[in-house]
Amino acid sequence: MKFGIFFELSTPRPFSTAAERAVYHNALEQCRLADELGFDHVWAVEHHFLEEYSHCSAPEVFLAAVAAQTRRIRVGHGAVVCVPEMNHPIRVAERAAALDIVSEGRLEFGTARSSTWTELGGFEVNPDDTKKTWDEFVRVLPQMWMQDEFEWQGKAFSMPARNVLPKPYQQPHPPMWVTVTSPGTELDAAERGLGCLGVSAASYEEQERRTQEYHRRIRQCEPIGGFINDQVHTMNFLFCHEDYREARRIGVPMVNSFNVANAHLYWTREAYPTRAYQFLGNVGAAMKAKKAPADDPSVAKGLPEGVGVGDPDHLVRTIKRWESIGVTGINFLLNAMEMVPQQAVLDSMRLFAREVMPQFRSERETNAPVYTPASVPAVGGR
Amino acid sequence: MLVGSASIDVLLRDLATATIDAFGTQDVELGAVACLQVVAEMRKRSREALLPPSLHPTIPPAMSLQVWDVGASPWGAFTMVMCRVSCRSGVRARGFTTAAFVSTEAACRELRRQFGFPARVADVSLRHGYDRVTATVTFEGNVIAQVEAIDPEPMANDDVQYTGILNLAHTPNGARLVQVEPHHHATRVERLRAALRSFDGAAWGSALLEPAFVVSSSLALESVEIPAIRFVCKPDQLAFTGTEAV
Repeated sequence: MKFGIFFELSTPRPFSTAAERAVYHNALEQCRLADELGFDHVWAVEHHFLEEYSHCSAPEVFLAAVAAQTRRIRVGHGAVVCVPEMNHPIRVAERAAALDIVSEGRLEFGTARSSTWTELGGFEVNPDDTKKTWDEFVRVLPQMWMQDEFEWQGKAFSMPARNVLPKPYQQPHPPMWVTVTSPGTELDAAERGLGCLGVSAASYEEQERRTQEYHRRIRQCEPIGGFINDQVHTMNFLFCHEDYREARRIGVPMVNSFNVANAHLYWTREAYPTRAYQFLGNVGAAMKAKKAPADDPSVAKGLPEGVGVGDPDHLVRTIKRWESIGVTGINFLLNAMEMVPQQAVLDSMRLFAREVMPQFRSERETNAPVYTPASVPAVGGR
Repeated sequence: MLVGSASIDVLLRDLATATIDAFGTQDVELGAVACLQVVAEMRKRSREALLPPSLHPTIPPAMSLQVWDVGASPWGAFTMVMCRVSCRSGVRARGFTTAAFVSTEAACRELRRQFGFPARVADVSLRHGYDRVTATVTFEGNVIAQVEAIDPEPMANDDVQYTGILNLAHTPNGARLVQVEPHHHATRVERLRAALRSFDGAAWGSALLEPAFVVSSSLALESVEIPAIRFVCKPDQLAFTGTEAV
């Protein structure tokens, strides 16, 4: 089981330079601590114009700072929006390779297509096209990284033969992922040999169904890159405290705040009739998440099912359940709208690392580099 | 978190507010409906100002016009149009109605009485051909909205999202946001490129209603079922605490 931290860089109103600075630098401090404590991944999203919810519009800059301030934790570019109006694929390949070099081979490369009208409309993207451009991007990027002469005639872009430089530090290229918001995207990931990076809430039952189907399909995949990444990571929240009442008091409002902010995004389907967006973003999934059964001990404590808020015992039980249904990693959101004081976030991370992490790995594993270039093939077969 | 800043008293005064004397228990079936929906973004200055404090605006702020040309209903054939501000009630996507206009007295009366629409009688026309759709709303001799949508593209029947409707009305519970949740059963859907040839925001509830950028439009041929009212919300409380079952 891999443990990551996940940043939207949500920023509460009123907006100010001091607030923006605090959000970014608190996050960087959390990354440094995560690196020391043995967390495996830092992921940063790419979002545009999403006031309060996410001010992480230049994740490659944030992640370059993370790479410079850490030594072992993997740097997750998660995810690059694969539509040409936002990111030209050549620039994506170049930036990712540079980040992989700067981080000395610690890049995880996520791909996405954006799900809000706020973002797509802002860049004048035709929502009908985003699945197509995403597919084109994920097929060409590994080729740009692996070939010294690459040319392309496509719909999203074309280019004459050039050597796209630099090449990534990891060979043949960093592990590739797809963010999964809409049900069914996990199958797109499986068919292309890409890792499944869950970013929306789902019940155990729903996640198990999706994970099983992902693993079934990826066995017959046609990998678009130099190797298969068959990991399934989900997104969760983390607030760990010795006293479950205190964990609940601080953690549950943070979770609710994030979910409400998420529900307030202006989803593409609401604004623009299209085949390409069949769900109202994360909202549908969150609403379908089941409440814990009455005999679950977390209910008696008022703790939510499947969510990483609670005392260490609760979190161990919760994570074991996720592990049992095939999830190979969990990426935790540590804060939302800065509702949790920074010191409490850091204390929560330390307690989690001390009491929960050892239940899932040895001390040696915790201290070892995470997927150094030489061990990349371990995540899948070439 | 943004919330609406409009005064409830001002909204009740300015929005042709309806009165529901008793909540009905009967669903209403509308047949042979042509539904034109136009979605437009608005300017930031109208973001919170158009909504009561119980609702959250979208970013960017947006509004929609829905024109229903109804061939069969318990009140006979009629045409109606509603203007709504896109919003969230709790975590749910909704549209807050600022005005509605209906072509017949009977339908106008029942839409006000049963569902709390802030409706008034007006000339409402919807014309749809193979190349374009036009809609015109004339109230008290003035054209207050004109829509022209061209270049229809066939879509699947479930490709259009209709959000639930919130009508501010006097109800047996007091002034409440009445949740109207029509079920649309489309048999044909087209997406079009629309232009608002004219739109008089003041006539639709507020001069702040300024469609700055038309995002999309669609035409659906369908039937519509409007279930009896199940929930209302206090307009001055967030939905998490202010929702009441009826």
